[in-house]
Amino acid sequence: MKIGKIKSTLIAIGFLFGSNLIFAQTDSTAPAPAPEVTNSPTGGSQKFLLAGKAGITWQSGIPSVNNPALINSFNPISLMLMPLVKLNNRLFLDGQIEVGANPNPGGGAGININELILYYRVTPSLNVFFGNFSPKYGLYLGVLDDFTNRFCSSPVGMARGPQTQTGIGIQGGVQTGYSKINYQLYVSNGPQFQTDSANFGLQTYGNYTDNNKGKSIGGSFGWLPFSNSNLQLDVSGQYTAKSGDITTEFENISSFSWATDLNYYHVFSPVMLRVLAEYNYTQTDKHLVSSGDSVNTPFAYTNFSNQLSGWFVGSTLRASGSESTFLSNLELGARYGSYAPPKNAAWGGDPINQTTFVMTYWFTWKTPLNISYDLYRGAINQDVVTVRTIYFF
Amino acid sequence: MTHIKITVFAFIVIAILSVTIVDSCKVPAAILNKSGAQLWGENCNRCHNAPDPKTYSDDQWDAATEHMRQKAILTDLEITKIRDFLKSAN
Repeated sequence: MKIGKIKSTLIAIGFLFGSNLIFAQTDSTAPAPAPEVTNSPTGGSQKFLLAGKAGITWQSGIPSVNNPALINSFNPISLMLMPLVKLNNRLFLDGQIEVGANPNPGGGAGININELILYYRVTPSLNVFFGNFSPKYGLYLGVLDDFTNRFCSSPVGMARGPQTQTGIGIQGGVQTGYSKINYQLYVSNGPQFQTDSANFGLQTYGNYTDNNKGKSIGGSFGWLPFSNSNLQLDVSGQYTAKSGDITTEFENISSFSWATDLNYYHVFSPVMLRVLAEYNYTQTDKHLVSSGDSVNTPFAYTNFSNQLSGWFVGSTLRASGSESTFLSNLELGARYGSYAPPKNAAWGGDPINQTTFVMTYWFTWKTPLNISYDLYRGAINQDVVTVRTIYFF
Repeated sequence: MTHIKITVFAFIVIAILSVTIVDSCKVPAAILNKSGAQLWGENCNRCHNAPDPKTYSDDQWDAATEHMRQKAILTDLEITKIRDFLKSAN
């Protein structure tokens, strides 16, 4: 009942907010936007860009139970295509399609729609979006990716919360005096509660359609307090009232995820310093199962506390102001983080700690060569060396 | 957990209300008068390296900057000036 009231309140606030933004301030001293060149009967001009990236990776490490094939291996080229279509002055289609090689014997390839989003700009600070999207959650999800992850490897503490899902939302940025804020608010199909023995209790985001009548609500709020926009602080979250398959005993299992992150950079001439940090936490309702998943192999689970958390903090240094071309393109970084899964889950266990050292050489603004060294300790004890280059186009 | 959920969502609601209220704040002239080049350096460097204007054509920058408007949730004034700068410098 209380959650229903919260939802109703949020919807009402959303209408209030939306109606305000429709009549939002347009400062009289702000420059008028440049007139759009029109060459179509619909009053807009269509612009298209096929962006994307291709990456080559080589990894070396001690084989482990988790990764038995990690022995001085070249990995297949990763290819991601991003069709960007500006349909007119208000309508924009944004896609992200990943083509990946199948690592299993037999080969083949998989094509995955990471994102396919249609945006409509209602006002300068209100955009409506619909489709398959990655919500803004933490530092990387929905914002940063290989294009901005300077550490080559993904932090173990990320990607443990809301991921790509289908839904509708609003977002926008607003100048508030010398500082700025941005927001995102959405309703989506949400996660799916897994019930097979290997993944029981895990919330996954692989489905394009919903598995029950409930919907997730989520959002993020970002604050850039300084006029030069060099510091951004965010808080984000998502609540799901129903995550299990409809008509099953798991239907009403709820989950809640929240994250906070920091992204800072500053040039202390001639060195550019970056600091990145994130903490995320997901709690799924406690659940007890006494029935098996098949007639022949019934199983029972204890009532484990289904919560997980992750965090990381990292920093890089780059002598971007150096007179030496080589030094100005060289970036050094270090990062430490941890992931703590539910201890008693089949997919959980002890925490994993990760220490990363990375050296990056930027051939161009979008072409890095990364050499990273990851030390995983805890539930996994493994050292991994990764050499990667990515060409963004 | 219920307490945490209510707290976080209350925070988000308050934040949105704050947006509504401060939405009417007058933007200082120092912010309004920032050039596209300055905004390009400040905003683009926060996540990735500032892009070379010569990377894309005018039409391609139109599409690319729309993508960045949404990914970085930039203000309309910022992305308009950045786009115009990139198109003027390519």
